[in-house]
Amino acid sequence: MRKSRIGLTSAALVAVAGLTLAGCAAADEEVAATDAADTTEEAAATGETYEVYALLPQGNDQAYGTTYLPPMEAMAAELGINLTITNSEYDGDKQASECEVAVAAMPDGIILWPAIADTIRPCLELANAAGIPIWVTNADVNPEDADLTYGYSGTDSYGQGAASAEIMCEIVDGADVGIIQINGVTGNSVATLRGNGFSETIAANCPNVTILAEQPGDWVPDKSQIAASEMLTAVGIENVQGMYAADDSMIKGGIDALKARGLDPADFFITSIGGTFLGNPLVVSGELDGTIFQSSSWDGENAVVGIFRAMTGETSQGRDDEGSVLYMPNPKVTAANASDPEVAPEW
Amino acid sequence: MSETQSIQIGQRETTFLGKLRVTLARRTEGRGVVLLALILGVVSFTQPLVFTAYPVSLGRIALIGLVALGLTAVILMGELDLSVASTLAVSGVVMALIPDVRLGIIVALGAGLVIGVINAFFVAVVGINSFIATLGMLFALRGLAYILSDEAPVRLTNTDAGIAFGMPLLGPITPRVLIFILAFFALQIFVTRVKAGREFFAVGGNRQAAYDAGIPVKRRIFTGFIISGFVASLAGVINTLERTAADPRAGLTVLLASFAAAIIGGNYLKGGRGSIVGTLIGATALGVLQVALTLSGIQVPVQNIFIGVILLLAVTTDPANLRAVLGSIRSLRQGRAKAQS
Repeated sequence: MRKSRIGLTSAALVAVAGLTLAGCAAADEEVAATDAADTTEEAAATGETYEVYALLPQGNDQAYGTTYLPPMEAMAAELGINLTITNSEYDGDKQASECEVAVAAMPDGIILWPAIADTIRPCLELANAAGIPIWVTNADVNPEDADLTYGYSGTDSYGQGAASAEIMCEIVDGADVGIIQINGVTGNSVATLRGNGFSETIAANCPNVTILAEQPGDWVPDKSQIAASEMLTAVGIENVQGMYAADDSMIKGGIDALKARGLDPADFFITSIGGTFLGNPLVVSGELDGTIFQSSSWDGENAVVGIFRAMTGETSQGRDDEGSVLYMPNPKVTAANASDPEVAPEW
Repeated sequence: MSETQSIQIGQRETTFLGKLRVTLARRTEGRGVVLLALILGVVSFTQPLVFTAYPVSLGRIALIGLVALGLTAVILMGELDLSVASTLAVSGVVMALIPDVRLGIIVALGAGLVIGVINAFFVAVVGINSFIATLGMLFALRGLAYILSDEAPVRLTNTDAGIAFGMPLLGPITPRVLIFILAFFALQIFVTRVKAGREFFAVGGNRQAAYDAGIPVKRRIFTGFIISGFVASLAGVINTLERTAADPRAGLTVLLASFAAAIIGGNYLKGGRGSIVGTLIGATALGVLQVALTLSGIQVPVQNIFIGVILLLAVTTDPANLRAVLGSIRSLRQGRAKAQS
């Protein structure tokens, strides 16, 4: 147990070192980032420090979380915020328990990335009863729960799915095609919203595209490859001309499934979401027709900016205040702009 | 009339210290107590909030401990139930799908009993190894949870009832904690005071001897799996009420935590040795540690290292294992000495 204590101390030291050493990457063109700079000055002027719990469903165990955390910690250090970060591994019960722990610690604010949006209401009620402001990051809570929070920053997950569908409609150019769809973890709100955004936009904008089958790939390339392979067999490879996946790592699995059958991915209409180190090179090579850029650094930074605004009274409870909803810009990445610095991958 | 002769093996201890030594030697919770004391000691220095916010710590212990208590009934007989997490998920979904909360609870608990019977049937009647039988049920029930829920969380019709359920009844005692305490006492009395419960140890210790002694082994296996299934479904019902929704993915981290709690508490996976008190100690140690690590903001991979180390400590410090290791070292030395001479 002495080792455990040493380990605890070491981990705390590493966390402190991480906070101190992490760099800052502000996006000048973002209104939110400009506001963040203003608030930073105010924080520096007052010298006040805040205790904040960040209840996340992922961390260094996933690519997005790994690049989300350093900018978040850097912004927190800049604004005088001491962050305590948890990772529920997408387990709703575990996150609920972590929420109870966080409320018991009586921090100045809580940043919440819901593991399962449907199970988060008791946590919101608990924090409200204790008078602790909650800022939602990355994946929003259900609309009926939004008034229990102080705001949201992150992706418009539905819009991302819709944007990926728009690329699909554009490249198909009116032809009758059948596609297969690979979704994220079943029940996860981002997965559901992206899936709905894609399928509903396809139905509305290009009914000539038929979604023949859909399966979850759980955000994992290997599982997505198996899911894609099974769907190709089930619907018949001759009927499939395209593929959509809810993120780049899953489309990599889908593309590998095509290659495993000796097929050239360039002959298929393929779109995704992410704009990642996996996705953008595929766009450049022509294997992926388009993806949607997502900035993990923007996401992490603005989660801290959001809770700072809530704690300093800039935004009040509910979603009526200006700036209580900060949507991340999600530009489309195609062969025309895949090498541009504006869409340079972050994760 | 024939005279009965009694044979006494070993010397009977009459002094207080002697009796205490014999009692301690019989107990299996020693390592769990030591680990718990160490954890409490370290946590009191590093995260005293764990104690001041004791309602939260109690809630976490109950979250891990409830499923672990049911699992202990099976482990005592030398069997495993890997389906507890899936049972928890499917029970929660079944409950949430029924608009009437009371009826939903009854049906969900009934589902847990049925799952226990099915598990026991495969193990006791068909003769499949419990690891394989319950592994199959783990996948089948998880799939069933997804199908029933249409692959999405199912919200309770009456969410207010769920939120009210999560509120403390008396001081820090929430319904979850109260149910956990009741389940602990019920199972503790069952395995220590009731003949059927005490026979679990005989079934786990030496199954052939249990058969020869006239113990209805199959019936005991049914009883154990029914307890395990029922308690897992009870946990599913509580989770669904407290979260106001049932998640078909629920219980992902429960299975390993429950086994860890039982093992830390000194329960022998091959059966015959262990106790419900030990599981309570294991769940307390694990729960306190998890709350402390959460408060410290230590990332999950590091948390897993801590839990893994504690689990290994609990297993490797088992007196039987230590004796075996010492025996091996001794025979190795003797072998080398002979070879040198």
